[in-house]
Amino acid sequence: MNSDTIHFDELFSKYRTDPYNYVDSYAVHAGTIRFMVEKEAEVLGVSGEWNHVPGSSLYEITRERNPKMITSRTNGTVSYLNKDLDGQFVEAGTRLMTIRHPLKKKEVIEAILQEVLYLFTAPERARYFFSMDIQAKIDQKGIRSIFINPGDEIITMSLMKRDTPVYYDGEAGVLHSVYFNPGESVDDGAALIGVCPEERVAVVQKIINRVKAEWES
Amino acid sequence: MFSHSSICRLGREQADCSPYDKEQVEKILRYGSPVGSCIEHHTELDRCMDRLRGLLSEKDKESGSLSTGTVIRADTLKCSAGRFQRSWHAPSGGLYLAMAWADTLLPDFNRLLPFAIGIACHELVASLGVSARLKWVNDVLVRGRKISGVLCETIISGSCERYHLIGIGININNREFPPELKNIATSVARETGQEHDLNDICLNLLARLQWNIGLLYYGEELFLTADEKQRENSNPVFKRWLSLSDTRGRRVVYGYDVQLNPLYEARVLNIDKDGSLVMELEDGSRIVESSGEVVYL
Repeated sequence: MNSDTIHFDELFSKYRTDPYNYVDSYAVHAGTIRFMVEKEAEVLGVSGEWNHVPGSSLYEITRERNPKMITSRTNGTVSYLNKDLDGQFVEAGTRLMTIRHPLKKKEVIEAILQEVLYLFTAPERARYFFSMDIQAKIDQKGIRSIFINPGDEIITMSLMKRDTPVYYDGEAGVLHSVYFNPGESVDDGAALIGVCPEERVAVVQKIINRVKAEWES
Repeated sequence: MFSHSSICRLGREQADCSPYDKEQVEKILRYGSPVGSCIEHHTELDRCMDRLRGLLSEKDKESGSLSTGTVIRADTLKCSAGRFQRSWHAPSGGLYLAMAWADTLLPDFNRLLPFAIGIACHELVASLGVSARLKWVNDVLVRGRKISGVLCETIISGSCERYHLIGIGININNREFPPELKNIATSVARETGQEHDLNDICLNLLARLQWNIGLLYYGEELFLTADEKQRENSNPVFKRWLSLSDTRGRRVVYGYDVQLNPLYEARVLNIDKDGSLVMELEDGSRIVESSGEVVYL
């Protein structure tokens, strides 16, 4: 995407008309489903200092007489529930419900940014931290001073006391957003960093300023 | 130094005490056989891991590949370091080595490689008459004092091949430790009063690495050929690790770098079959960690 193709008004109006994120919940594996919520129920997401307190129970899935309770990772309202599946056997990946999560100002900014930045995601659920070079530059000059090229060793992944360097494979640009705290556990596929081509940094900053000015809460 | 065939021969002798039948033993030993395929022995190095990295670079320049199982051993290390660049005291009398292992396991089994290395180190010190236990993930402790430590890194060579670099340090004949380690480290000689030939010890360790890494691959083979119900059964490496560890049930302090930044206290409820630590916090809630480290309380 280049700067000409950032249709900010469209993006902004999309979030104005529908300020929600829709999070689908799929069967984590094959098994028999028992729903723990009704449609329109309010659910809570994970909480606690270490994100260790599970959210509201969404459904129980039983395979080989082993029941597993699946809880919500986000707060919101159950906007869709495939009630016909209650008590039925489903295959892994079957869509079971959708949670409508109300977006806050910060989340709207992030959601818009995630559409305009190149997102580099976590290859595995593990703990991540910046490579020593990058961390030193961040400490000295801040994240926006870092220019990343494809092939750069930017992050180290730590899993079971084994450290693995992670190489950047996206488009070259400025490190614009960091979505993890070094040393924190990150889920497989979650965004680690957002990179912005240098010529688009000013446009992206304009987006942030406008959302900050025009969004109420 | 000894030859690769000596390692394989000792591995076969040690396998006689295993619960596996002849066919299974052959498979396990075959999977682990590259351990020690090339061995370099130095009287002194800065770090064994650095020498391995150097060899990998040399092979890259020659458009070649480093043999999996290549081992670098040194009698003393000048700049040895553990995780987070912590200093590792490496005087003569200890066993210090690093091994390169090509990354050919599935991700679910890669996770257990550090466990397999820990088991081999534990088995070695146990075979020397030391009563030790494994602390998650692979520290070998004797009455709370560390006798062996492991450092695992995965790197990608210039030719895009992934290797695990496994660094091992075991206190064997060294008896003296600097003041900061005096109360938290021990050695085989301190525990048993006996000294050992380090060549024999190295041979013994490599044979045990052959077996335990081979067992990891054998577990992967079982997983790939099993039906879904059988897959629920624990991996043989993981079962073995559980039998040697005293982490379950312990009260611990957890942290990513627990010495520099301890995060919370908890009680270890279990180790998941993927190796993750399942802990209970003071408020009764559970937390699962797949990285970081613990200190026993």
